Amino acid sequence: MLSSIWAIFLKDLKSELRTRYALNALLMFVVVTISMILFATAGEVISGELLSGLLWVVIFFSAMSGLSRTFVSEEDRGTVIFLQLATRPSAVYFGKLLFNLVLIFGINFFVVIAYFLTMEGFKIKSFDVFLAGLILGSLGLASASTIIAAIIAKANTKGTLYPVLSFPVLLPLLITAINMTQLSIEGAKLVETFGHLRILFSYFAVVVIASYLLFDYIWKE
Amino acid sequence: MIWKFLLGLYMAIITALAFVIPIGFIPGLGERARIIFLHVPSAWLSVIAFFVAMLYAIRYLKSKNIYEDVKSVASAEIGFLFCFVTTVTGSIWAKFNWGSFWNWDPRETSIFVLLLIYGAYFVLRSAIEVEERRATLSAVYSIIAFITVPFFIFIMPRIMPGLHPGSKGDPEGAGPVVTFKMDPNMRVLFFASLLGFILVYLWMFKLRSRVEILKIKIQNKIYQEV
Amino acid sequence: MSVYEFLEKNSIYLVLIIALIVWLSVFAYLVKVDAKLKKLENEFAKIENKEEIEK
Repeated sequence: MLSSIWAIFLKDLKSELRTRYALNALLMFVVVTISMILFATAGEVISGELLSGLLWVVIFFSAMSGLSRTFVSEEDRGTVIFLQLATRPSAVYFGKLLFNLVLIFGINFFVVIAYFLTMEGFKIKSFDVFLAGLILGSLGLASASTIIAAIIAKANTKGTLYPVLSFPVLLPLLITAINMTQLSIEGAKLVETFGHLRILFSYFAVVVIASYLLFDYIWKE
Repeated sequence: MIWKFLLGLYMAIITALAFVIPIGFIPGLGERARIIFLHVPSAWLSVIAFFVAMLYAIRYLKSKNIYEDVKSVASAEIGFLFCFVTTVTGSIWAKFNWGSFWNWDPRETSIFVLLLIYGAYFVLRSAIEVEERRATLSAVYSIIAFITVPFFIFIMPRIMPGLHPGSKGDPEGAGPVVTFKMDPNMRVLFFASLLGFILVYLWMFKLRSRVEILKIKIQNKIYQEV
Repeated sequence: MSVYEFLEKNSIYLVLIIALIVWLSVFAYLVKVDAKLKKLENEFAKIENKEEIEK
Protein backbone atom coordinates (compact mmCIF):
# COMPACT_ATOMS: atom_id res chain seq x y z
CA MET A 1 0.00 0.00 0.00
CA LEU A 2 2.61 2.52 1.12
CA SER A 3 4.91 1.61 -1.73
CA SER A 4 2.17 2.09 -4.33
CA ILE A 5 1.23 5.47 -2.82
CA TRP A 6 4.88 6.43 -3.05
CA ALA A 7 5.04 5.15 -6.64
CA ILE A 8 2.03 7.24 -7.69
CA PHE A 9 3.53 10.27 -6.00
CA LEU A 10 6.89 9.78 -7.69
CA LYS A 11 5.21 9.27 -11.05
CA ASP A 12 3.35 12.58 -10.72
CA LEU A 13 6.41 14.36 -9.47
CA LYS A 14 8.57 13.06 -12.33
CA SER A 15 6.07 13.94 -15.02
CA GLU A 16 5.70 17.36 -13.45
CA LEU A 17 9.42 17.97 -13.26
CA ARG A 18 9.83 16.83 -16.86
CA THR A 19 7.52 19.51 -18.26
CA ARG A 20 7.32 21.93 -15.31
CA TYR A 21 4.02 23.02 -16.81
CA ALA A 22 2.04 23.42 -13.61
CA LEU A 23 4.95 24.80 -11.63
CA ASN A 24 5.92 27.52 -14.07
CA ALA A 25 2.34 28.51 -14.78
CA LEU A 26 1.59 28.67 -11.09
CA LEU A 27 4.60 30.79 -10.22
CA MET A 28 3.65 33.23 -12.97
CA PHE A 29 0.08 33.18 -11.70
CA VAL A 30 1.24 34.18 -8.23
CA VAL A 31 3.42 36.97 -9.61
CA VAL A 32 0.55 38.25 -11.75
CA THR A 33 -1.96 38.23 -8.88
CA ILE A 34 0.35 39.94 -6.45
CA SER A 35 1.27 42.64 -8.94
CA MET A 36 -2.44 43.04 -9.66
CA ILE A 37 -3.02 43.75 -5.99
CA LEU A 38 -0.09 46.16 -5.96
CA PHE A 39 -1.47 48.07 -8.95
CA ALA A 40 -4.98 48.13 -7.57
CA THR A 41 -3.80 49.58 -4.27
CA ALA A 42 -1.02 51.75 -5.67
CA GLY A 43 0.21 54.25 -3.13
CA GLU A 44 -2.40 53.34 -0.54
CA VAL A 45 -1.52 52.14 2.91
CA ILE A 46 -3.31 48.84 3.39
CA SER A 47 -4.11 47.63 6.86
CA GLY A 48 -2.77 44.32 8.12
CA GLU A 49 -6.28 42.87 8.36
CA LEU A 50 -6.96 43.51 4.71
CA LEU A 51 -3.57 42.15 3.72
CA SER A 52 -4.13 38.89 5.56
CA GLY A 53 -7.43 38.47 3.72
CA LEU A 54 -5.73 39.20 0.39
CA LEU A 55 -3.00 36.68 1.17
CA TRP A 56 -5.59 33.92 1.36
CA VAL A 57 -7.27 35.18 -1.80
CA VAL A 58 -3.95 34.70 -3.62
CA ILE A 59 -3.44 31.28 -2.03
CA PHE A 60 -6.98 30.15 -2.82
CA PHE A 61 -6.91 31.15 -6.46
CA SER A 62 -3.45 29.78 -7.15
CA ALA A 63 -4.54 26.51 -5.57
CA MET A 64 -7.63 26.54 -7.76
CA SER A 65 -5.59 27.02 -10.89
CA GLY A 66 -3.03 24.34 -10.10
CA LEU A 67 -4.40 21.54 -7.97
CA SER A 68 -6.93 20.14 -10.40
CA ARG A 69 -4.18 19.20 -12.83
CA THR A 70 -3.23 15.87 -11.27
CA PHE A 71 -6.59 14.36 -12.10
CA VAL A 72 -7.51 16.37 -15.18
CA SER A 73 -4.23 15.47 -16.91
CA GLU A 74 -4.82 11.76 -16.31
CA GLU A 75 -8.21 12.19 -17.89
CA ASP A 76 -6.81 14.21 -20.83
CA ARG A 77 -4.00 11.78 -21.58
CA GLY A 78 -6.34 8.83 -21.22
CA THR A 79 -4.10 7.19 -18.64
CA VAL A 80 -6.90 6.67 -16.11
CA ILE A 81 -7.52 3.14 -17.27
CA PHE A 82 -3.89 2.10 -16.72
CA LEU A 83 -3.91 3.48 -13.23
CA GLN A 84 -7.17 1.67 -12.54
CA LEU A 85 -5.59 -1.58 -13.69
CA ALA A 86 -2.29 -1.01 -11.93
CA THR A 87 -3.34 -0.22 -8.38
CA ARG A 88 -6.04 0.23 -5.78
CA PRO A 89 -8.17 3.43 -5.75
CA SER A 90 -7.09 4.41 -2.25
CA ALA A 91 -3.44 4.26 -3.28
CA VAL A 92 -4.21 6.61 -6.16
CA TYR A 93 -6.05 8.97 -3.84
CA PHE A 94 -3.27 9.17 -1.26
CA GLY A 95 -0.61 9.46 -3.93
CA LYS A 96 -2.40 12.38 -5.53
CA LEU A 97 -3.08 13.93 -2.14
CA LEU A 98 0.61 13.73 -1.31
CA PHE A 99 1.52 15.34 -4.62
CA ASN A 100 -1.01 18.13 -4.11
CA LEU A 101 0.30 18.69 -0.60
CA VAL A 102 3.84 19.09 -1.89
CA LEU A 103 2.58 21.38 -4.65
CA ILE A 104 0.57 23.61 -2.31
CA PHE A 105 3.41 23.87 0.20
CA GLY A 106 5.69 24.88 -2.64
CA ILE A 107 3.24 27.50 -3.86
CA ASN A 108 2.56 28.85 -0.40
CA PHE A 109 6.25 29.13 0.36
CA PHE A 110 6.66 31.22 -2.77
CA VAL A 111 3.52 33.28 -2.13
CA VAL A 112 4.55 34.15 1.40
CA ILE A 113 8.06 35.16 0.39
CA ALA A 114 6.75 37.27 -2.48
CA TYR A 115 4.20 38.77 -0.12
CA PHE A 116 6.78 39.73 2.49
CA LEU A 117 8.97 41.33 -0.16
CA THR A 118 6.22 43.39 -1.78
CA MET A 119 3.72 44.30 0.92
CA GLU A 120 5.18 46.78 3.34
CA GLY A 121 2.26 46.74 5.71
CA PHE A 122 2.49 43.00 6.24
CA LYS A 123 4.31 42.80 9.57
CA ILE A 124 3.83 39.69 11.59
CA LYS A 125 4.23 39.85 15.34
CA SER A 126 3.89 36.18 16.26
CA PHE A 127 5.44 33.89 13.72
CA ASP A 128 4.39 30.65 15.39
CA VAL A 129 0.69 31.51 15.00
CA PHE A 130 1.23 32.53 11.39
CA LEU A 131 3.13 29.35 10.50
CA ALA A 132 0.68 27.07 12.29
CA GLY A 133 -2.23 28.68 10.47
CA LEU A 134 -0.46 28.50 7.15
CA ILE A 135 0.58 24.85 7.49
CA LEU A 136 -2.73 23.54 8.78
CA GLY A 137 -4.60 25.74 6.30
CA SER A 138 -2.59 24.29 3.42
CA LEU A 139 -3.27 20.77 4.65
CA GLY A 140 -7.02 21.38 4.64
CA LEU A 141 -6.88 23.20 1.32
CA ALA A 142 -5.07 20.30 -0.33
CA SER A 143 -7.40 17.68 1.18
CA ALA A 144 -10.65 19.26 -0.02
CA SER A 145 -9.35 20.36 -3.39
CA THR A 146 -7.96 16.89 -4.19
CA ILE A 147 -11.32 15.14 -3.90
CA ILE A 148 -13.10 17.92 -5.77
CA ALA A 149 -10.48 17.74 -8.52
CA ALA A 150 -11.32 14.04 -8.82
CA ILE A 151 -15.00 14.95 -9.21
CA ILE A 152 -14.57 17.70 -11.78
CA ALA A 153 -12.13 15.66 -13.87
CA LYS A 154 -15.16 13.60 -14.89
CA ALA A 155 -17.38 16.61 -15.68
CA ASN A 156 -17.67 18.54 -18.93
CA THR A 157 -16.68 22.07 -17.96
CA LYS A 158 -13.62 21.48 -15.85
CA GLY A 159 -12.01 24.88 -15.52
CA THR A 160 -14.88 27.03 -14.32
CA LEU A 161 -16.48 24.36 -12.21
CA TYR A 162 -13.48 23.85 -9.96
CA PRO A 163 -13.51 27.07 -7.93
CA VAL A 164 -17.32 27.07 -7.91
CA LEU A 165 -17.44 23.66 -6.28
CA SER A 166 -14.46 24.16 -4.01
CA PHE A 167 -15.21 27.57 -2.57
CA PRO A 168 -18.25 26.74 -0.42
CA VAL A 169 -16.64 23.54 0.83
CA LEU A 170 -13.42 25.37 1.69
CA LEU A 171 -15.02 28.39 3.29
CA PRO A 172 -14.97 27.25 6.93
CA LEU A 173 -11.27 26.57 6.49
CA LEU A 174 -10.57 29.87 4.74
CA ILE A 175 -12.43 31.97 7.30
CA THR A 176 -10.56 30.33 10.16
CA ALA A 177 -7.22 30.62 8.38
CA ILE A 178 -7.77 34.31 7.57
CA ASN A 179 -8.72 34.88 11.18
CA MET A 180 -5.50 33.22 12.33
CA THR A 181 -3.36 35.34 10.04
CA GLN A 182 -5.06 38.44 11.41
CA LEU A 183 -4.38 37.25 14.94
CA SER A 184 -0.73 36.71 14.10
CA ILE A 185 -0.49 40.31 12.90
CA GLU A 186 -2.10 41.50 16.09
CA GLY A 187 0.45 39.44 18.02
CA ALA A 188 -1.68 36.80 19.69
CA LYS A 189 -0.10 33.93 21.58
CA LEU A 190 -0.22 30.41 20.16
CA VAL A 191 -2.20 29.17 23.16
CA GLU A 192 -4.99 31.65 22.46
CA THR A 193 -5.56 30.27 18.98
CA PHE A 194 -6.04 26.72 20.15
CA GLY A 195 -9.71 26.69 19.09
CA HIS A 196 -8.77 27.76 15.59
CA LEU A 197 -6.08 25.11 15.34
CA ARG A 198 -8.54 22.47 16.40
CA ILE A 199 -11.02 23.53 13.71
CA LEU A 200 -8.34 23.51 11.02
CA PHE A 201 -7.04 20.12 12.04
CA SER A 202 -10.45 18.47 12.40
CA TYR A 203 -11.45 19.87 9.01
CA PHE A 204 -8.42 18.22 7.45
CA ALA A 205 -9.06 14.91 9.23
CA VAL A 206 -12.77 14.79 8.42
CA VAL A 207 -12.30 15.63 4.75
CA VAL A 208 -9.48 13.12 4.26
CA ILE A 209 -11.46 10.32 5.89
CA ALA A 210 -14.59 11.09 3.88
CA SER A 211 -12.58 11.34 0.67
CA TYR A 212 -10.89 8.02 1.37
CA LEU A 213 -14.30 6.38 1.78
CA LEU A 214 -15.83 8.04 -1.27
CA PHE A 215 -12.94 7.96 -3.69
CA ASP A 216 -13.71 4.42 -4.90
CA TYR A 217 -17.05 5.53 -6.31
CA ILE A 218 -15.61 8.45 -8.26
CA TRP A 219 -12.63 6.53 -9.51
CA LYS A 220 -14.65 3.63 -10.87
CA GLU A 221 -17.10 5.97 -12.61
CA MET B 1 -56.45 12.23 1.74
CA ILE B 2 -57.91 13.30 5.08
CA TRP B 3 -54.50 13.85 6.70
CA LYS B 4 -53.64 16.43 4.07
CA PHE B 5 -56.58 18.57 5.07
CA LEU B 6 -55.75 18.06 8.71
CA LEU B 7 -52.23 19.26 7.93
CA GLY B 8 -53.64 22.30 6.12
CA LEU B 9 -55.78 23.13 9.12
CA TYR B 10 -52.90 22.47 11.54
CA MET B 11 -50.54 24.83 9.75
CA ALA B 12 -53.27 27.46 9.50
CA ILE B 13 -53.74 27.29 13.26
CA ILE B 14 -49.98 27.50 13.81
CA THR B 15 -49.77 30.54 11.55
CA ALA B 16 -52.62 32.22 13.39
CA LEU B 17 -51.16 31.43 16.82
CA ALA B 18 -47.74 32.69 15.74
CA PHE B 19 -49.22 36.16 15.57
CA VAL B 20 -51.43 36.24 18.61
CA ILE B 21 -49.93 33.94 21.26
CA PRO B 22 -48.59 35.86 24.26
CA ILE B 23 -44.81 35.43 24.34
CA GLY B 24 -43.78 37.47 27.33
CA PHE B 25 -41.18 40.19 27.25
CA ILE B 26 -37.81 39.39 25.67
CA PRO B 27 -35.17 42.10 26.09
CA GLY B 28 -33.82 43.45 22.82
CA LEU B 29 -36.27 41.60 20.64
CA GLY B 30 -39.79 42.30 21.90
CA GLU B 31 -42.53 41.42 19.46
CA ARG B 32 -39.93 40.75 16.79
CA ALA B 33 -39.14 37.48 18.58
CA ARG B 34 -42.22 36.04 16.91
CA ILE B 35 -40.05 35.36 13.87
CA ILE B 36 -38.92 32.25 15.71
CA PHE B 37 -42.14 30.47 14.79
CA LEU B 38 -41.58 30.70 11.04
CA HIS B 39 -37.95 31.59 10.34
CA VAL B 40 -36.20 29.15 12.65
CA PRO B 41 -38.24 26.07 11.64
CA SER B 42 -37.54 26.77 8.00
CA ALA B 43 -33.81 27.09 8.77
CA TRP B 44 -33.83 23.77 10.64
CA LEU B 45 -35.88 22.24 7.90
CA SER B 46 -33.41 23.20 5.20
CA VAL B 47 -30.64 21.48 7.15
CA ILE B 48 -32.87 18.44 7.70
CA ALA B 49 -33.66 18.34 3.99
CA PHE B 50 -29.96 18.52 3.09
CA PHE B 51 -29.29 15.77 5.59
CA VAL B 52 -31.97 13.60 3.94
CA ALA B 53 -30.41 14.41 0.56
CA MET B 54 -27.10 13.15 1.89
CA LEU B 55 -28.69 9.96 3.24
CA TYR B 56 -30.21 9.22 -0.15
CA ALA B 57 -26.87 10.01 -1.78
CA ILE B 58 -25.22 7.38 0.42
CA ARG B 59 -27.97 4.92 -0.42
CA TYR B 60 -27.47 5.65 -4.10
CA LEU B 61 -23.76 4.94 -3.90
CA LYS B 62 -24.51 1.63 -2.18
CA SER B 63 -27.33 0.41 -4.41
CA LYS B 64 -26.79 2.34 -7.69
CA ASN B 65 -30.57 2.57 -7.92
CA ILE B 66 -31.47 5.70 -9.90
CA TYR B 67 -34.60 6.30 -7.83
CA GLU B 68 -32.43 7.00 -4.80
CA ASP B 69 -30.66 9.69 -6.77
CA VAL B 70 -34.00 11.19 -7.77
CA LYS B 71 -35.03 11.37 -4.13
CA SER B 72 -31.72 12.90 -3.17
CA VAL B 73 -32.18 15.72 -5.68
CA ALA B 74 -35.80 16.22 -4.66
CA SER B 75 -34.77 16.70 -1.05
CA ALA B 76 -31.90 18.99 -1.97
CA GLU B 77 -34.21 21.16 -4.06
CA ILE B 78 -36.71 21.60 -1.27
CA GLY B 79 -33.90 22.26 1.16
CA PHE B 80 -32.62 24.94 -1.18
CA LEU B 81 -36.07 26.51 -1.35
CA PHE B 82 -36.39 26.66 2.44
CA CYS B 83 -32.84 27.90 2.72
CA PHE B 84 -33.73 30.75 0.40
CA VAL B 85 -36.86 31.54 2.41
CA THR B 86 -34.79 31.57 5.59
CA THR B 87 -32.25 33.94 4.08
CA VAL B 88 -34.86 36.39 2.82
CA THR B 89 -36.98 36.42 5.98
CA GLY B 90 -33.91 36.67 8.18
CA SER B 91 -32.54 39.52 6.12
CA ILE B 92 -35.77 41.51 6.34
CA TRP B 93 -35.88 40.89 10.07
CA ALA B 94 -32.25 41.98 10.44
CA LYS B 95 -33.04 45.31 8.82
CA PHE B 96 -35.40 46.13 11.65
CA ASN B 97 -33.47 44.53 14.47
CA TRP B 98 -29.86 45.32 13.62
CA GLY B 99 -30.35 48.17 11.16
CA SER B 100 -29.07 46.63 7.94
CA PHE B 101 -30.14 43.84 5.64
CA TRP B 102 -26.82 42.02 5.75
CA ASN B 103 -24.09 42.13 8.41
CA TRP B 104 -21.98 39.02 7.74
CA ASP B 105 -22.88 37.74 11.12
CA PRO B 106 -21.57 34.13 11.43
CA ARG B 107 -25.10 32.82 11.21
CA GLU B 108 -25.76 34.83 8.07
CA THR B 109 -22.49 33.63 6.60
CA SER B 110 -23.43 30.03 7.26
CA ILE B 111 -26.83 30.27 5.58
CA PHE B 112 -25.21 32.06 2.65
CA VAL B 113 -22.69 29.25 2.31
CA LEU B 114 -25.47 26.67 2.36
CA LEU B 115 -26.98 28.49 -0.61
CA LEU B 116 -23.59 28.50 -2.33
CA ILE B 117 -22.98 24.80 -1.67
CA TYR B 118 -26.27 23.66 -3.09
CA GLY B 119 -26.08 26.18 -5.92
CA ALA B 120 -22.77 24.54 -6.82
CA TYR B 121 -24.41 21.13 -6.46
CA PHE B 122 -27.03 22.00 -9.08
CA VAL B 123 -24.37 23.48 -11.35
CA LEU B 124 -22.40 20.23 -11.09
CA ARG B 125 -25.48 18.24 -11.99
CA SER B 126 -26.11 20.36 -15.04
CA ALA B 127 -22.49 19.95 -16.18
CA ILE B 128 -22.62 16.16 -16.54
CA GLU B 129 -24.72 14.54 -19.22
CA VAL B 130 -24.43 10.82 -18.55
CA GLU B 131 -27.13 9.94 -16.04
CA GLU B 132 -25.27 7.46 -13.83
CA ARG B 133 -22.12 9.51 -13.78
CA ARG B 134 -24.10 12.60 -12.83
CA ALA B 135 -25.80 10.70 -10.03
CA THR B 136 -22.55 9.28 -8.63
CA LEU B 137 -20.53 12.48 -8.78
CA SER B 138 -23.24 14.67 -7.36
CA ALA B 139 -23.86 12.13 -4.60
CA VAL B 140 -20.19 12.28 -3.64
CA TYR B 141 -20.23 16.06 -3.76
CA SER B 142 -23.31 16.31 -1.60
CA ILE B 143 -21.72 14.07 1.02
CA ILE B 144 -18.45 16.04 1.02
CA ALA B 145 -20.39 19.29 1.15
CA PHE B 146 -22.66 18.17 3.94
CA ILE B 147 -19.84 17.07 6.23
CA THR B 148 -18.50 20.62 6.19
CA VAL B 149 -21.91 22.02 7.17
CA PRO B 150 -21.46 21.30 10.91
CA PHE B 151 -18.41 23.56 10.86
CA PHE B 152 -20.73 26.41 9.93
CA ILE B 153 -23.79 25.65 11.95
CA PHE B 154 -22.29 24.43 15.19
CA ILE B 155 -18.67 25.54 15.41
CA MET B 156 -18.25 28.90 13.71
CA PRO B 157 -21.08 30.76 15.48
CA ARG B 158 -19.54 29.63 18.75
CA ILE B 159 -16.02 30.91 18.23
CA MET B 160 -16.90 34.11 16.39
CA PRO B 161 -18.85 36.85 18.08
CA GLY B 162 -22.06 37.76 16.32
CA LEU B 163 -25.35 39.56 16.56
CA HIS B 164 -27.68 36.64 16.02
CA PRO B 165 -29.52 35.38 19.08
CA GLY B 166 -27.59 32.35 20.25
CA SER B 167 -24.07 33.36 19.17
CA LYS B 168 -20.92 33.69 21.25
CA GLY B 169 -21.32 36.65 23.52
CA ASP B 170 -25.05 36.14 23.90
CA PRO B 171 -25.38 35.91 27.67
CA GLU B 172 -28.15 33.35 27.36
CA GLY B 173 -25.80 30.80 25.81
CA ALA B 174 -24.77 29.75 22.34
CA GLY B 175 -26.22 27.01 20.23
CA PRO B 176 -28.39 26.14 17.29
CA VAL B 177 -31.33 26.08 19.66
CA VAL B 178 -31.89 29.59 20.90
CA THR B 179 -32.08 28.84 24.58
CA PHE B 180 -32.98 32.27 25.85
CA LYS B 181 -35.61 32.04 28.50
CA MET B 182 -38.45 31.03 26.26
CA ASP B 183 -41.93 31.42 27.51
CA PRO B 184 -43.41 27.90 27.93
CA ASN B 185 -46.15 28.39 25.34
CA MET B 186 -43.59 29.94 23.01
CA ARG B 187 -41.49 26.80 23.25
CA VAL B 188 -44.48 24.55 22.63
CA LEU B 189 -45.60 26.55 19.64
CA PHE B 190 -42.07 26.55 18.23
CA PHE B 191 -41.81 22.78 18.26
CA ALA B 192 -45.39 22.42 17.00
CA SER B 193 -44.48 24.70 14.12
CA LEU B 194 -41.33 22.68 13.43
CA LEU B 195 -43.45 19.53 13.28
CA GLY B 196 -45.85 21.20 10.83
CA PHE B 197 -42.95 22.32 8.66
CA ILE B 198 -41.53 18.81 8.64
CA LEU B 199 -44.87 17.34 7.57
CA VAL B 200 -45.20 19.90 4.77
CA TYR B 201 -41.66 19.05 3.72
CA LEU B 202 -42.44 15.33 3.65
CA TRP B 203 -45.44 15.97 1.48
CA MET B 204 -43.54 18.19 -0.96
CA PHE B 205 -40.70 15.68 -1.03
CA LYS B 206 -43.09 12.86 -1.86
CA LEU B 207 -44.71 14.91 -4.63
CA ARG B 208 -41.40 15.96 -6.12
CA SER B 209 -39.94 12.46 -6.16
CA ARG B 210 -43.13 10.93 -7.56
CA VAL B 211 -43.03 13.36 -10.49
CA GLU B 212 -39.43 12.42 -11.26
CA ILE B 213 -40.06 8.70 -10.91
CA LEU B 214 -43.03 8.93 -13.27
CA LYS B 215 -40.86 10.85 -15.70
CA ILE B 216 -38.19 8.14 -15.64
CA LYS B 217 -40.81 5.42 -16.15
CA ILE B 218 -42.30 7.24 -19.15
CA GLN B 219 -38.83 7.78 -20.62
CA ASN B 220 -38.06 4.09 -20.27
CA LYS B 221 -41.37 3.30 -21.95
CA ILE B 222 -40.61 5.56 -24.90
CA TYR B 223 -37.14 4.08 -25.13
CA GLN B 224 -38.56 0.56 -25.23
CA GLU B 225 -41.01 1.39 -27.98
CA VAL B 226 -38.35 2.98 -30.14
CA MET C 1 -67.50 47.62 16.40
CA SER C 2 -67.35 46.48 12.81
CA VAL C 3 -64.66 44.12 11.49
CA TYR C 4 -63.19 46.94 9.44
CA GLU C 5 -62.67 49.18 12.45
CA PHE C 6 -61.21 46.31 14.44
CA LEU C 7 -58.67 45.54 11.73
CA GLU C 8 -57.83 49.19 11.39
CA LYS C 9 -56.89 49.40 15.03
CA ASN C 10 -55.11 46.04 15.37
CA SER C 11 -53.18 45.79 12.12
CA ILE C 12 -51.38 42.64 13.34
CA TYR C 13 -54.60 40.76 12.66
CA LEU C 14 -54.59 42.11 9.14
CA VAL C 15 -51.14 40.62 8.59
CA LEU C 16 -52.37 37.44 10.18
CA ILE C 17 -55.17 37.20 7.62
CA ILE C 18 -52.71 37.81 4.80
CA ALA C 19 -50.37 35.09 6.08
CA LEU C 20 -53.30 32.69 6.34
CA ILE C 21 -54.36 33.42 2.78
CA VAL C 22 -50.82 32.79 1.57
CA TRP C 23 -50.58 29.47 3.36
CA LEU C 24 -54.03 28.33 2.26
CA SER C 25 -53.34 29.11 -1.39
CA VAL C 26 -50.02 27.26 -1.28
CA PHE C 27 -51.86 24.42 0.39
CA ALA C 28 -54.61 24.38 -2.27
CA TYR C 29 -51.96 24.36 -4.97
CA LEU C 30 -50.18 21.40 -3.38
CA VAL C 31 -53.45 19.47 -3.09
CA LYS C 32 -54.19 20.12 -6.74
CA VAL C 33 -50.76 19.00 -7.92
CA ASP C 34 -51.07 15.91 -5.75
CA ALA C 35 -54.43 14.99 -7.30
CA LYS C 36 -53.17 15.55 -10.83
CA LEU C 37 -50.10 13.47 -10.25
CA LYS C 38 -52.15 10.64 -8.83
CA LYS C 39 -54.32 10.71 -11.95
CA LEU C 40 -51.28 10.57 -14.22
CA GLU C 41 -49.76 7.70 -12.28
CA ASN C 42 -53.02 5.76 -12.54
CA GLU C 43 -53.20 6.35 -16.28
CA PHE C 44 -49.64 5.20 -16.72
CA ALA C 45 -50.29 2.08 -14.67
CA LYS C 46 -53.35 1.34 -16.81
CA ILE C 47 -51.32 1.55 -20.02
CA GLU C 48 -48.70 -0.78 -18.59
CA ASN C 49 -51.31 -3.29 -17.48
CA LYS C 50 -52.99 -3.28 -20.86
CA GLU C 51 -49.71 -4.02 -22.60
CA GLU C 52 -48.95 -6.88 -20.28
CA ILE C 53 -52.35 -8.42 -20.97
CA GLU C 54 -51.80 -8.08 -24.72
CA LYS C 55 -48.56 -9.94 -24.44
